[in-house]
Amino acid sequence: MVNVETALKEATTLIEGAIGAALVDYGSGMALGTIGGGKDLDLAVAAAGNTDVVRAKVRTMELLGLKDEIEDILITLGSQYHLIRLMKGRTSVGFFLYLALDKKRANLAMARHQLKKIEAELEI
Amino acid sequence: MTTPATAPNAFAAVSPLLTRLAAERATGALLRDRGTLFLEDGRIVHAESPATPGLDVLLTTGGGLAPERWREAVDRAGARRQVARFLVDSGGLAGGELEICHLAAIFDAAFFALSPGSGPSRFRRGATHWIGSVRSVAAAAVERETRRRRELLDAVWPYPLLDTAPVVPRAAAPGQTVTARQRILLEQADGIRTPADLAWVLGRPAFHTLLDVRRLAAAGLVETPHSPAPPPVEVPLPDWMTQAQSPDVALLRRLRDALEASL
Repeated sequence: MVNVETALKEATTLIEGAIGAALVDYGSGMALGTIGGGKDLDLAVAAAGNTDVVRAKVRTMELLGLKDEIEDILITLGSQYHLIRLMKGRTSVGFFLYLALDKKRANLAMARHQLKKIEAELEI
Repeated sequence: MTTPATAPNAFAAVSPLLTRLAAERATGALLRDRGTLFLEDGRIVHAESPATPGLDVLLTTGGGLAPERWREAVDRAGARRQVARFLVDSGGLAGGELEICHLAAIFDAAFFALSPGSGPSRFRRGATHWIGSVRSVAAAAVERETRRRRELLDAVWPYPLLDTAPVVPRAAAPGQTVTARQRILLEQADGIRTPADLAWVLGRPAFHTLLDVRRLAAAGLVETPHSPAPPPVEVPLPDWMTQAQSPDVALLRRLRDALEASL
């Protein structure tokens, strides 16, 4: 059985260049679990802030009339990638995985693929 | 796993009794007016509150778990206090999903159980909950999150009356859109249901519904109830402003005389 702690651990150990990861409750902005981060990246603050990012994108899609779902959101900084992956399970709708990556060490395509796998493991 | 960072004002205890029980590593049930927290070795393992839907509603109405599955788990594993494990072992639910929902339910119920003015607290030592062990959370993390949630509600739209009043939808302004999640909530808002009622109908945590309603009110999509205006307080004006008094002739004369003498 994969629990939140092992899933996040997997995200930061298996994914090359991972700096930190969090599982976030979109409805309240709370991180249900965090790993890594450190003093340069407060994951609790990132969790709350990124719910606003997701909400803004959802609203924009409504405005555009796009009848589609967000799979993930990528934010590229000068030195980091921030990846937001919305969970799709029956009971886990309303939660997202948040992953911060070191741009120099990360392989973006691989990271997206692995994060997708970790999400699936939490739901089976 | 690390717990969320300490907020600057994290030192004011939400419940001094909870802080003490956590330090003692106590096991039992902390009963308050608006909910109960279950502790094991000083960590919170479960919470419930009449103000919010329980894990059963979140999993069935909100999460699509068949109600029979839940009832079967309670019937067959309730007495052993292993309902959670039964649900996962019987294939009704993924372990990760149960854990996520259970954590959300703990923080949701704790928000109400730890609400201010929630009356006297009692502790029933040794009491456990039949859901069984899923995950535990540090009491300090729950207190910190409860405080963050209170601040978040007021940061969004500081009208606490919205939390308990019936939700009355308003027509959207031209060009204004609502998200699917908001639309589902607004469709159930019949002008009678309160945010708590809506949480039960939708199978969503009650805090999330409070937050959604405050956001909708801030956007003008839900009426903001106003408390009756306080009666205007009459501040009596001092006599010298309201009453015309005859000038003090003697004083004026003395002033004139003094001025003339100094010329």
